[in-house]
Amino acid sequence: MEAQALQFFIACVTAAGFGIAIAAFGCGIGQGMGLKSAVEGIARNPESSGKVTVTMLIGLAMIESLCIYALVVSLILIYAHPQAAAIAGLFAH
Amino acid sequence: MNRNSEQRQSVNIQQRILTFVTRSNWVLLVSVSLLGLLAASPPFARGIIFGGLIVTINFHLLAKTLKKALNPQQLTSPNVVLVKYYIRFIISGVIIFLLIQQHVVNPIGLFIGLSVVVASITLATMIELKNLFFKEAV
Repeated sequence: MEAQALQFFIACVTAAGFGIAIAAFGCGIGQGMGLKSAVEGIARNPESSGKVTVTMLIGLAMIESLCIYALVVSLILIYAHPQAAAIAGLFAH
Repeated sequence: MNRNSEQRQSVNIQQRILTFVTRSNWVLLVSVSLLGLLAASPPFARGIIFGGLIVTINFHLLAKTLKKALNPQQLTSPNVVLVKYYIRFIISGVIIFLLIQQHVVNPIGLFIGLSVVVASITLATMIELKNLFFKEAV
């Protein structure tokens, strides 16, 4: 029974690790693509710098918040799993 | 001439959205925090306040860094931008980690607080869309 409880917590930590890794990968690619296009646009037309910066800022904020959500979910899985005490109690018997 | 006015209008919309988002971030943060303090438990309210503060300050710092970095007249060194980005990232990561690990906040409250910027951006976009459709209908 204790082994099962241990397995549950190992699964939680593994899920957290994979979750944040996948989120960071996706957000990194998304931010990189956005930044690349913005810099290319500004290099071609420096006058559009203000307009491009504003659009990119909003896009980057949205993408970054996705990664922060994933970080929060991962940390919840490791440190504040809502059912952790109940499941540990269930397997302890 | 026509193209110039279209371009100016587009810049105006962008600037208007940014101004709206910057202001509504604080307005939303204060109103949601007050709502949390009045109607929810202290850890939940703390989650909303801390989460909202983290993303709002992050957004303002990101705006400041990007405006300086992408201004063709006065370009900042890429290293400075990178260092600032990582410092911001590490500080917000450590704060969120400590908040959750020490059980200072309720995770759902933190989640709501972290959604302040996304909510204000969505709100700004919806208002602009409404204006666009309304103007076209007239």
